Amino acid sequence: MNGVFEVNYAAFSMFAALLITEIMGAVGLLIAWPSRSKVLDYIVPVWEVTGTFGALWVVTGDFAYPGLLVPVSEIFTPLLIVFLILWVARSASIAFAEFITKRGWLDEEKLFRSYAAATLVLGIVVLVLLSSLVGGQGVSLTSGSFSIVSWVTAGSVVFVVGTLLLAVGLAPVFFDLPALRNLVLPLTGIGIVLSVFSYWLMSPGLLTPWMAVPVLLTLAVGALYAWQRTSKIVANKAVFLAVLSVIIFSLQPLVYPKAIGQALPIDAVTTTGAMADAFLSITVVGGLLLALMLSLYVTVAARGPSGPGPSSTN
Amino acid sequence: MSVDPGSMLTFVRFLFAFTIGSHILLVSSSIALILLISISEFLAIRGHDPVYEALARRLSKVFVISFGVGTASGIVMAVELVGLFPSFMTLVASTGAMVLLYAEMSAFFLEVLALVLYVYYWNSFRGRYSHWAVSIFVVLGTLASAVFITMLNAWMNTPDGFSTSTFVTSGFKTITGIQPYAAFLTVSTVSQVFHVLVTTLFAGTMVIGAYFAYWFVRSRDAGERAMYSRALRILGAIAIITIILAGISGSEEMGNLLVNQPLKYAALDGNVVNGTNLPDRFFGSIVNGSYVGGISIPGMQALLAKFETNSTMLPGLSQFPANTWPPLLVTTTFNVMTVGGLALGVFMLVFFVSFVRKRRPYESKRLLHLWIPAAVLAMLVYQLGWATDEVGRQPWIVYNVMTVAQAANTSDALLVPGVIIVLFYLAVVPVTFYFYSRIFQGSKKEAPT
Repeated sequence: MNGVFEVNYAAFSMFAALLITEIMGAVGLLIAWPSRSKVLDYIVPVWEVTGTFGALWVVTGDFAYPGLLVPVSEIFTPLLIVFLILWVARSASIAFAEFITKRGWLDEEKLFRSYAAATLVLGIVVLVLLSSLVGGQGVSLTSGSFSIVSWVTAGSVVFVVGTLLLAVGLAPVFFDLPALRNLVLPLTGIGIVLSVFSYWLMSPGLLTPWMAVPVLLTLAVGALYAWQRTSKIVANKAVFLAVLSVIIFSLQPLVYPKAIGQALPIDAVTTTGAMADAFLSITVVGGLLLALMLSLYVTVAARGPSGPGPSSTN
Repeated sequence: MSVDPGSMLTFVRFLFAFTIGSHILLVSSSIALILLISISEFLAIRGHDPVYEALARRLSKVFVISFGVGTASGIVMAVELVGLFPSFMTLVASTGAMVLLYAEMSAFFLEVLALVLYVYYWNSFRGRYSHWAVSIFVVLGTLASAVFITMLNAWMNTPDGFSTSTFVTSGFKTITGIQPYAAFLTVSTVSQVFHVLVTTLFAGTMVIGAYFAYWFVRSRDAGERAMYSRALRILGAIAIITIILAGISGSEEMGNLLVNQPLKYAALDGNVVNGTNLPDRFFGSIVNGSYVGGISIPGMQALLAKFETNSTMLPGLSQFPANTWPPLLVTTTFNVMTVGGLALGVFMLVFFVSFVRKRRPYESKRLLHLWIPAAVLAMLVYQLGWATDEVGRQPWIVYNVMTVAQAANTSDALLVPGVIIVLFYLAVVPVTFYFYSRIFQGSKKEAPT
């Protein structure tokens, strides 16, 4: 076991879980604006937290793999630029949207929809990046470059479609939409099948017995929501986020011990010695602080939003 | 089209300077803003004052934008650093400097989680002081972020925690003797953090204050004017305290340069040759190896730098190889910074005297008219301070270890993304300040009746 990798991957799991729930909400804002309140009640307080977990993933990645910093940034330069532009668009539009009062053509709806569109595309960019990190599609390690044309393979496309289907399938659980309860299991099931199929297409070696863990956990979420008596348990946002983080964390065999199409042995590029010790020590201290803050957050959040923002008070 | 590496190096320098210059505009306002919010809410609770209460609520919305845009800008900068200075970032990631960035994440989490609780769950706390206490955590998180990033800059000025000689002689390939926590306390950390924190707070306070000064003078609405007046009272107090501390910490910082970065000290003060009892000089220039023109105050240098007597030996440029000298433009930027700082000190002194004489300076149209150009000067001085620090370290990115030229990526593939980043900041900074105003003015219904 590589502790440094585990910490970085755990940070990624939490970031990805939060981003997926934002994408679920973004789809809702785009296709069902009139019933936005359930989505906004969640998204408006949490978007800053998602960004912070994203930054944590990047910083722990810099710390964990110092030798990869330059090659990875060179290979993914085009994707990173698109990512940054979308990131700024997402952050700025939702920050402005929260408190804006209508004047002229610019209003809350336009800004929230801009946020939703930026977040959705951002999610797809992240999925493209992840599929490359898993299967190596589009990546040329020898020339240190990434080509979107080479990326378009059956494995990578099915990876993106499968993951998005999973997000759409689980969205009624997260936002507790009983009217869509019957869609959860079928959509989730198709999403699982497509995702697993995409791993096989990328590299049959990715399918280990471990893959049963995320598959069963995902099915369990759908099944628990389908049954009315247990639906409230998984529809609880903290529970859902925790389970989703665990599901993503259990997908780590996709990139460990080897990533980028089995070409990059992770242990060989992980920081070692005094720096690794420092990394783990700070993780413990920072993790305790984070756990304390998150528990306070969950406790207060359970009472419901009641602040000077967002739109409810405008 | 291909661009030669020399021109790209200049572009890379400009790009990062432009980015950080824009970023600190946002960040300094952010720090002042959260402090103002916290103090306003405290005064609202203590004095049952609905005007302070409304001020805190309205400003908290502005702070969310400030945080959102500032964070996005910070992420752009983080990625930009890797792209522009890959060798530097590889060194950072392999040494204790990385520990600082990781520690910064803790501060960042403290800030964001406390901010979310503070803004979105305002009335969900059982006691008003409990809610106010959360603002302290936002302040602490914000300040800690600034502290850790300044520590990183201090480490660049006086690197520690690894064998610099092994690293240099191995051609940047071997890093040994790593002490991960040494970067937290290099020889320049304390003085630099002290100076940067107070000057950042001062500059941000002046900028936010200029907004309230403008609206106080312009507004006819008595309720709004009462709010602006209260904000200015708090900001005036913060500005008086921080300008005094800026003077003390500036002297401390010069004393530190004298010992740990003597070449930078010599360039800033325009000392061509070393010696004792040297004058403090302003607005001259170094021509053909000697300082000409300007004003000289005999014997002041050592006193200002270390509160010491004239026996202190002060360094001169001639003690160092000419190819290691920074651009001597820093002598001028340092002079403008010093004289500008003194002028701001005089302005705040007048404000303070007026306050002591119960003349309500925060409602004096004359002083408030002056506050606006003073804020512009404060931001100019602040930006020049940063520029002086960075340019004064040239040609090094990590002092005596790695030059900027060695660290930089001079690929012309950076040109287009670089221009996009410049355009982004040219748009985002004014738009952000516009939205600050629009949202603050747009939430007038929270003003007390």
